[in-house]
Amino acid sequence: MSQTKNKSRRNFFKATAAMLTLAAGVCAWSSASMGQNSGTETLSLSGKRIGISAVGTDHHWDLMAYQGIIDEVKALGGEPIALDAKRNDQTHVSQLQTLIAQKPDAIIEMLGNLDVLNPWLKRIRDADIPLFTVDTATPYSLNNSTSNNYSLASEVALQMVADMGGKGNVLVFNGFYGVPVCKIRYDQLKYVLQSYPDVKIIEPELRDVIPNTVQSAYSNVTDMLTKYPNEGDISAVWACWDIPQIGATQAIEAAGRKGIKTYAIDGSPEVVEMVANPESAAGAVGAQQPYEIGRSAARNAARYLAGEHVPPFTFVPAVLITKENAKETAGPFLPKKEGAAN
Amino acid sequence: MTMTPANRELVMSGVESPVVTGTARRKALGTMLVRTGAIGTFAVILIYFALMAPGFLNFYNILNVVEQSAVLGVLAFGMSVVVIGGGSDVQTGGIDLSLAANTGLCAAVFAVSTTAGFPLPVTLAMTVGTGILVGLLNAVAVVWLNILPLLATLAVMNIVAGAELILTQNTVVSMASDFTMNIAVGSFMGVSVLAWCLIVFTLFMMALLHFTGSGLRLYAVGGHPEAARAAGIDVGAYVGGTYLFAGLCAGLGSILLVSRLSASTPGTGELLLSIIAAALLGTVFSRRFVPTAGGTILSTLFIGFLANGFQLLNVSSYWVTGVQGTLILLVVAATSFAKPSER
Repeated sequence: MSQTKNKSRRNFFKATAAMLTLAAGVCAWSSASMGQNSGTETLSLSGKRIGISAVGTDHHWDLMAYQGIIDEVKALGGEPIALDAKRNDQTHVSQLQTLIAQKPDAIIEMLGNLDVLNPWLKRIRDADIPLFTVDTATPYSLNNSTSNNYSLASEVALQMVADMGGKGNVLVFNGFYGVPVCKIRYDQLKYVLQSYPDVKIIEPELRDVIPNTVQSAYSNVTDMLTKYPNEGDISAVWACWDIPQIGATQAIEAAGRKGIKTYAIDGSPEVVEMVANPESAAGAVGAQQPYEIGRSAARNAARYLAGEHVPPFTFVPAVLITKENAKETAGPFLPKKEGAAN
Repeated sequence: MTMTPANRELVMSGVESPVVTGTARRKALGTMLVRTGAIGTFAVILIYFALMAPGFLNFYNILNVVEQSAVLGVLAFGMSVVVIGGGSDVQTGGIDLSLAANTGLCAAVFAVSTTAGFPLPVTLAMTVGTGILVGLLNAVAVVWLNILPLLATLAVMNIVAGAELILTQNTVVSMASDFTMNIAVGSFMGVSVLAWCLIVFTLFMMALLHFTGSGLRLYAVGGHPEAARAAGIDVGAYVGGTYLFAGLCAGLGSILLVSRLSASTPGTGELLLSIIAAALLGTVFSRRFVPTAGGTILSTLFIGFLANGFQLLNVSSYWVTGVQGTLILLVVAATSFAKPSER
C-alpha cells in the first residue's frame, strides 16, 4: 500500500516539478525581457537546507513568490523545506516551531500578520538561524525582499488623484492594516491625500477579507453604490492589494456606473488585463514581480551564508500600469497568465 | 440510540454466551479486526515516522507536538464529553459543531476586552462566561427544544461565527500581557506552560470521566438514556451539562489560543474538522467505540504527530488534511460496521 502511495506521490511530485519548471521558464523569460537578470554572480546553496514558510499561497502573488523562492533554492543547489500554512495562523506558528527544531541553515518567511509572527521570528533569531523575509518588514529579519512600497503606493495614490481631477470621494478597503506592506501603502495614500483636501475617504472604511475576497468586495461595493446612487458621489475605489479590486471593478461595471475607477497594488494578470482594457473600470495597478521577489530572498540567503554583506532590504522594481501607458507596460505581466499554469 | 443495547449485548455475548449466532460472532470478529486495524494503522504511521523522519523521537520535538496540541486537546475533550453524553451515533448522537466557532468568539472576547483595558480577572471571566453562555444556548436547543444536536449546534455555530465577525470586524486583534506571555513562552521543569496545561487537563479529564460517579452516570446516559432515566438519573441535566462543559472548554481553549498567537485571529472555525477527528478517532481505543479520555488524548497527539512527521520528512503539508480525512472515513466506517444495523 505504501509503495503505491509512494508511487503516486512521486507522480504528483513529477507533475508539480514539471509545472514549476514551466512556470520558472516563463518567468525567467519575462524577467529577462524586462532586463532584470541576476547578473554573473556565482552563488550557491549547495548542501544547505532552507526552511520556507508562507502564510498561504492561494493568490497569484503569493504563489509566484513562493515558487520563486523554492525554484531559486533548488537552482542554487539547496534543499528547500517548503511549508504552506494555508492561511491558518495556528498552522503557521506550529510549522515555524517545528522548523526551528529542524535547525535549517536559514529560514525565509513570507507574509503573515506581524503581531502573530514577531514572537516566533524572535525565536528563530534566538536559535541562531538566519532569517530572511519576503514582503515582511520586521526587526528580526536580516533582509526583506520586497517592492519599494513607499514609492509604488504613492504613485498609485497620485494617479488616482490625477484621474479624479483632484476632488471627489474615495471608497477605501482597509482590512489588513496589520500586514506590514498594507500599512505602508495605506499610510502613503493618506500622506498623498494630505496635499489634496478635496479628496475625501468615505467613512466608515470597508474591510477586505480572506477568503472570499472577490465576492465580499463585490457585495461591499454594490452596497455602497446603492447607498451613494448619484454620479459623482464616488469617484474611486482603493485597496492595498488587487484581489478586492477585481470584485470592486466587477461591481461598478455590473451597476453600469461611469466615472468610478479602481486602484490597487500587486499586479495579478487578470487585474493588469482589466487595466489594459479601455472599457474596464480598473484605473491603475502597481504591478510587482513576485517571482523575482521570491528569487531575490533565496539569493540573499545564499549571499549571507557565503559570508557576504546583505542590506536590510532589497527592492525589486515594480511598474505603475495605467490606462494610458498599458500598451507599453502591461505586456510582460500578461503572458504569465497563459504560461504560469495557475 | 436504540442501537446501543444490541451492541452491548453483542460485545458481551461474543465472549460469554454459548447461544451466540454465527453472524453475531462474525460481526464481533469483524469489529475486533477493524479496531486492531485502525490502531495498527496509527502504530504503523508513528513507527514509520520514528524510523524515517529525522529528529522525530527527539524529546524536544515530542514536547513541541504536545505544546502544539494543547488547544486542540482541550477542545477535543469538550467534544468527547458531548459525544459521551449524547451517544456516539454519528447522525443522531451528541455533537457540538459550534465548538470551534465558540472558541473563536471567546478568543475575540478575550483580546477585545483586554485591549479595552479591563483587568485580567474580568477578561478571563468574560471569556469563559461567553463560552458557557454559548454552551447554554446549545443545551436549550438540544435538551429543551429537542432539536437534533447536529442541526441545533450548526445553527448556533452560525450565530457565534457572526458574533465573532461583529466583534472583530474580521481583523486580527493583537494583545499581549504578562499572563499570556507566561503561557506562550513560559516553562516549568523544562516543559512549556502550554504543554503543562494539556497534561494537567488530561489528568483532570481522566479522573472526571473514569473515576467519578458523574463520569459513570454520563456514560450511562449516552449508552442507554431510557435505562439511565429508569435508574433515576436526570438525563436532560446530564446532556445539557455536556454542552455547558464544551462551552467551558471553548473558553479555556481560547485563552491558550490567544496566548499562543498573541492575538485573536479569524479562521479559528477551521479547527472544527480536527476537533471532530480527534474525538471520533479516539473511539477506536475503546471496545464499545465510545470516546474515552485516553483515546481522545492519543488521537489528538496523533493528529499533531501527523503534521509534524510530514514536515520532518519534508513531505508537502497538503497531504496532512487528506490523510486525516481518510482516517476519519475509516473510523466512521468501522464504527458503523461495528454497530449492528437495525435499519
